[in-house]
Amino acid sequence: MPGEESLEEGVLNPSKPTVEPDIQDPLLRQLLQTSPPPQPQQQPVPTPRAEVDCIVIGTGAGGAPLLARLAMAGLKVVALEAGPRHDARRDFATDEKAQEFLFWNDERLSAGRTPTSFGNNNSGTGVGGSTLHYTAYTPRAQPDDLRLRTEFGVGEDWPLSYDDLAPYYDELEHFLGISGPSPYPWGPARRRGYPLAPLPLNGAAQLMQRACEQLGIRTSPAANAALSARYYQEGIGWREACTNRGFCQAGCSVGAKASMDVTFLPLAEAHGAEIWPNCFVTEIERDAQGAITGVVYETDGQQQRLGCRTLFLCAGAVETPRLLLLNELALSSGQVGRNFMAHPGIQVWGTFDEMVRPYKGIPGALISEDTHRPTDADFAGGYLLQSIGVMPVTFASQVARGRGLWGQPLRDYMRQYNHIAGINILGDCLPHADNYLELADEKDARGLPKPRVHFSFHDNEERMTAHAEKLMRRIWDAAGARDIWAFPRSAHVIGTCRMGLSGDYAVVDTDGRAFGVPNLYICDNSVFPSALSVNPALTIMALSLRTADRFLETQKRLDTKTKS
Amino acid sequence: MPAAPHHPENTVRALIESPHVSAATRAALLDRLETAAQPYTPQFFDADTFALLQAVCARLLPQPERAAPIEVAPRIDERLAAGLSDGWRYDVLPPDREAYRLGLGGIQQEAQAQFGQPFAQLAPEQQDETLRRVQQATAAGAAWQTLDGPRFFEELLAEATALYYQHPLAQEEIGYVGMADLPAWTRIGLDEREDREPQPIQP
Repeated sequence: MPGEESLEEGVLNPSKPTVEPDIQDPLLRQLLQTSPPPQPQQQPVPTPRAEVDCIVIGTGAGGAPLLARLAMAGLKVVALEAGPRHDARRDFATDEKAQEFLFWNDERLSAGRTPTSFGNNNSGTGVGGSTLHYTAYTPRAQPDDLRLRTEFGVGEDWPLSYDDLAPYYDELEHFLGISGPSPYPWGPARRRGYPLAPLPLNGAAQLMQRACEQLGIRTSPAANAALSARYYQEGIGWREACTNRGFCQAGCSVGAKASMDVTFLPLAEAHGAEIWPNCFVTEIERDAQGAITGVVYETDGQQQRLGCRTLFLCAGAVETPRLLLLNELALSSGQVGRNFMAHPGIQVWGTFDEMVRPYKGIPGALISEDTHRPTDADFAGGYLLQSIGVMPVTFASQVARGRGLWGQPLRDYMRQYNHIAGINILGDCLPHADNYLELADEKDARGLPKPRVHFSFHDNEERMTAHAEKLMRRIWDAAGARDIWAFPRSAHVIGTCRMGLSGDYAVVDTDGRAFGVPNLYICDNSVFPSALSVNPALTIMALSLRTADRFLETQKRLDTKTKS
Repeated sequence: MPAAPHHPENTVRALIESPHVSAATRAALLDRLETAAQPYTPQFFDADTFALLQAVCARLLPQPERAAPIEVAPRIDERLAAGLSDGWRYDVLPPDREAYRLGLGGIQQEAQAQFGQPFAQLAPEQQDETLRRVQQATAAGAAWQTLDGPRFFEELLAEATALYYQHPLAQEEIGYVGMADLPAWTRIGLDEREDREPQPIQP
């Protein structure tokens, strides 16, 4: 059972700042030094409380891999997950409305000139976090994605290189059972191919493939973290193959998609990790030196406390900075909440004579990275192209928002649903000073300030979007589409706790450790210094494994020191 | 635009009962059909405002061919009464309850200002004109000084549209049978049809 103590007084936390001041007066200092130690009644005797080696907040792509790694190293670890535990095979319906419980539905305020949407666009909750919702699209970042400033003089370089991530990409691809083409047509040569053949192409993918061939654009079946064949996963057992139900974004009921609840989390539990669902962390407690001593969380309407030696904050690029801001923790760089980025993700839709039935097959079946560094680009960075399937309610909402259709024209257009196919991009986004997360005055149901996220495309994002729209319209023209229209949007939440070499401008160091708070690690999409031109999930998981390894190294060094 | 295809009636109802639909999916769809068929008493809006919302939704999603139209206003009222959110809102809009109250009031004002009558008593073309003015930020009236008309309209339209296409019969209308995904889809390419997928009736 999750922690059994109720909230007690006397432990330092930001709402009760009782840090002992330095004693300036020499006489008083001398008196205190010679007098007996402070009386215990100054601090009420704390009731015994549970303490573990590590607490991990969040069980998504950032938290789950490191949870497994830490448990396998023999540490006592507990993951606190805000959402519930699901039995996907039994409970997940193939119905968008019924699956709404999967999204982080606490309200977030979207500000800026191109406000980004949350909820079903980019969030998940429950054991497995946002991987319950992700489309399983798992391309690797390319080496130059991590050196944007060196290459273009804008944006940020990562303080680590592709070579630091490559071994983790390789490990993940084989552990998760990624289906993809071997060899992969873009990026550096790899040690080995994907463990499984690509998933079959659906209608949208075939249309894009056909048109790109005419236009001389290379395409390939995409790398997807969904099984094209039954797969044996070390430490977990067999997972079943994808049944092409096209429903990745609203939850996989087959176990074919490599969400964390069917991969790293069972692995972690098999090695002794505990996962406590429905535990929403509100406070992070510190001692007088500023080291974290534990967390306070809400569960079943009760406040509970759990102590830890090290805290891993893996709650995503909105909840992670929100928790830090609420707790006034790790703020010394002034960068918490800054540098919010979201991928330009414009979609282009068209109507075809052929029957497409866009609800079948892995949604992102086909990829092109020929646009990674387009020769005619008037912007920094690049993007990838992908074909997309779509479920009817999501599509209808986009038609309403994007085309502004209503009345009979809306119903007439929607009747062509089975003949509609889309392509979209996913492109790099630069950090901008006016794109940031802050705490709003408006409170949520828990009485905590809602997050407000300011997001506006600037020149670079606008130019990239225009470049991509033109190209995708050409592709759909060549594929024989009519009634082509574009839906500008942004996807994924990135930045807000960026990684860097110095605490002057970054929140965490290269190992994911917070500057100024020795036993706090952050690992999720918030630490990305730049947005990358690929979907973030695989890189988050790679960072997660790396963060765990770097942490375990420091523990080993400490152990050696203690022994010698 | 070529005339839209239609799909045979009862396709979805028949599929729901078939082994191609999982127990969880079936339960969700039957529950939605059942809920939609129930009479509804508004919990959040007063009777007049609710009637106005119904009249607005009837223009957003007109269903002249249905003896019993799929009603979305009850679902909006239910959500607002429960205080539920879809995870975000435009920062330029006030909280949903306030936005709906202000926005519906503004639609009423605009109907009065343009046509001298309450929205519900206008001819369908006049109702559409009123809504178009809100969508295109040309509506006058005090409400639209404080409420962003196009953003409010977008939110209202997106919610009404999502609610409509969540209904199994609306899904049947557009030929969607993704709910019948057991045991698997194997014919997923262009112009490939699984036996259980309906053939459209070309008009």
